[in-house]
Amino acid sequence: MPKVKLSGAEIVVEELKDEGAEVAFGIPGGVLLDLYDTLYKDDALRHILMRHEQCAAHAADGYARVSGKTGVCIATSGPGATNLVTGLANASMDSAPVVALTGQVVTSAIGTNAFQEASTFTITMPVTKHNFLVTRTKDLPKVIHNAFYVANTGRKGVVLIDLPKDVLAGKATVNLHPKETFAGYKPNIKPNLVQTKKAAEVLANAERPLILAGGGIISAEATEELRHLVELLGTGVVTTLMGKGAISEHHPFCLGMAGMHGHLCANKAINECDALLALGTRFSDRLTGWLLDQFAPDATMIHVDIDAAEINKNMPVDIPIVGDVKLALSDMIKWLEKKKKLGDKSVWLQRIKEMHSACEECIHDVRREGTSISDSVIKEISLILDGDAIVTTEVGQCQMFAAHYYMTREPRTFISSGGLGTMGFGFPAAIGAKVAAPDKKVVDIAGDGSFLMTCQDLATCVENDIPVVVCILDNRYLGMVRQWQELFYDKAYAHTGLGLTPDFVKLAEAFGCYGERVEKPEDLKDAFNNAFESGKPSVIDVIVGKDDKILPMIPPGGGVIGMIGTERCKHV
Amino acid sequence: MQTRIISLLVEDHPGVLTRMSGMFTMRGINIMSLTVSPCEKDGLSRMTVAIKGTESELEKVRKQISNLIEVVKVVDLMQEEPIIRDLSLLKVHVKDSKARSEVMQLAESYSAKIVDATLDSVTLELTEEPKRIDRFVDLMKHFGLKQLFRTGITAIGTASGTDK
Ligand SMILES: Cc1ncc(C[n+]2csc(CCOP(=O)(O)OP(=O)(O)O)c2C)c(N)n1
Ligand SMILES: [Mg+2]
Repeated sequence: MPKVKLSGAEIVVEELKDEGAEVAFGIPGGVLLDLYDTLYKDDALRHILMRHEQCAAHAADGYARVSGKTGVCIATSGPGATNLVTGLANASMDSAPVVALTGQVVTSAIGTNAFQEASTFTITMPVTKHNFLVTRTKDLPKVIHNAFYVANTGRKGVVLIDLPKDVLAGKATVNLHPKETFAGYKPNIKPNLVQTKKAAEVLANAERPLILAGGGIISAEATEELRHLVELLGTGVVTTLMGKGAISEHHPFCLGMAGMHGHLCANKAINECDALLALGTRFSDRLTGWLLDQFAPDATMIHVDIDAAEINKNMPVDIPIVGDVKLALSDMIKWLEKKKKLGDKSVWLQRIKEMHSACEECIHDVRREGTSISDSVIKEISLILDGDAIVTTEVGQCQMFAAHYYMTREPRTFISSGGLGTMGFGFPAAIGAKVAAPDKKVVDIAGDGSFLMTCQDLATCVENDIPVVVCILDNRYLGMVRQWQELFYDKAYAHTGLGLTPDFVKLAEAFGCYGERVEKPEDLKDAFNNAFESGKPSVIDVIVGKDDKILPMIPPGGGVIGMIGTERCKHV
Repeated sequence: MQTRIISLLVEDHPGVLTRMSGMFTMRGINIMSLTVSPCEKDGLSRMTVAIKGTESELEKVRKQISNLIEVVKVVDLMQEEPIIRDLSLLKVHVKDSKARSEVMQLAESYSAKIVDATLDSVTLELTEEPKRIDRFVDLMKHFGLKQLFRTGITAIGTASGTDK
């Protein structure tokens, strides 16, 4: 590559394109005028103007989770950057690859409390995998290349680049597209063969092995290998929230999501198994509950993760395997295929299959006795979309109803804020999802409280023709908190009533969107048809009960076999 | 609880120390001592961190440190029979000539250097293993310790010698 003389802003745009970035979600500001001037003159990189920086980060996050590519967001210095922080923390917690560019005051003014100065570098350090404060224009090629490299390798994550105004405006003679990386960053990807063999032996001999699939399976594109192993072994599989979609939830060996709001049968299987193969999961407390002695007490624990720091962090394991889960699975499959005979697992598989059918029947029975309207709404949506859509969620009961009752078929089609639990995530994430997959239907399963946190970006959808559907479970409450107040705080409903929430249909119309109210779950099908056919961004406001509860659940202090509200799961 | 000394080679640019100390704060680990200095390689610094915790806590921290991108190398010095040193400067009160001679005698037996003296004080320098410094400091407290400065631990492994 010959040397070229370019402005910092030009270098940034050239390098973004070289890294394969196609779209950036952002909002400009004073210190970013040079960057935006360059973006404006270059058609190769699409920019989508958001209405809040938090949404820019969530949209980049949603884009990344759906496409597997690195999402890009841009914010100006000071308030722009601080507004990004929630979105960055959210993406970091769920290991989504995102590169954030922030403007900064000129280098000579840093530390003077200049107008719109915030120490973005120090503020964002704990919510990023890595971050840079660039002080010389000539450093930009290496910084940007490495930002993308770090974001989308190893355990994926967020990298932020803070760009002072003079670094963007100044010129430098540089070699573009460097390949040089950092000596201290060597993502360890090859699993140890001795360990994978040991794991395969344990699984082969176990009578009741169980596979626990986390988000790492999706992130590593290892879903084919997962299905292959499950079938080869002839055993059950459960997922985490982040792992939803790692295997079709219609697969007869799949018991769906485990954990605090998971399926009773999935939690039971975890408790009963004699070998647990945990893949790309960090054993969050929302999966394990609080009583670790109920979590696979009789099992030989095998844990595969790309991040060595996750091994033995939350869960003591017997066979640790550090490395790419796709490679680890291929290795294990190879070992198992060499074996002539596997230990007999037929009794266990029979039980798994029975639990699967009973659970699927329960989920498809929309108006099963004793269920709430919210249950039926999600069951209905699950039937309407039939896995052929991307579903994002807000946070609260709406999210857990969706996680519990919405059945996925494919990876990267269920996008939810797992680690941070960020209200307001689902809608901007849906925007990113629709940009990544314009031909797919994209539906945000929302709560009324959550949606009000980021609904201003309906304007972005209208302006940029991004027709996502927001389906609100309208209970006029911060429902999940209310549920805890009802169950564990003597029904003292402290500040969870939302009172007179806005007329969401009119709100949609005010933005130029399609809006429709649904009072009965059976009317959802028409509403969805109308929304999709309108071709517009849409809001479907579904009236649900304030007393609806997402059950069963692991109560505070409980473990995987201490679920409450299991009356409806008699089949297990 | 045990003490562990970790030696790190890190990139030498602004923010590395903040990132390192932030990581300890985030993981709830208390740093006993942390020193940063140039090393034999251009562009890299050496950090010596002493932390206290249970075996498993320390292991978790070691892995989190290794994950930091600016950390080029992590050595658990406890595996390398380390030579550990701390440098201390003590300003000791001497109320009369008897006290002065006692302080000087004790200093001599610990191989502490006298680096300054005034009519009513003696300033001593002692570079030693931290535990011996602790003992010396306790002795000097009997006379009246006006000021104490310690650099914190630096350490070197005796096993293989050089960093590859
Ligand atoms: C940004 C943010 N603030 C507060 C919370 C705490 N919280 C968790 S769920 C919830 C209620 C969500 O209400 P809504 O969006 O209406 O969903 P519902 O539970 O009613 O379905 C709250 C306040 C959170 N998760 N995120
Ligand atoms: Mg609500």
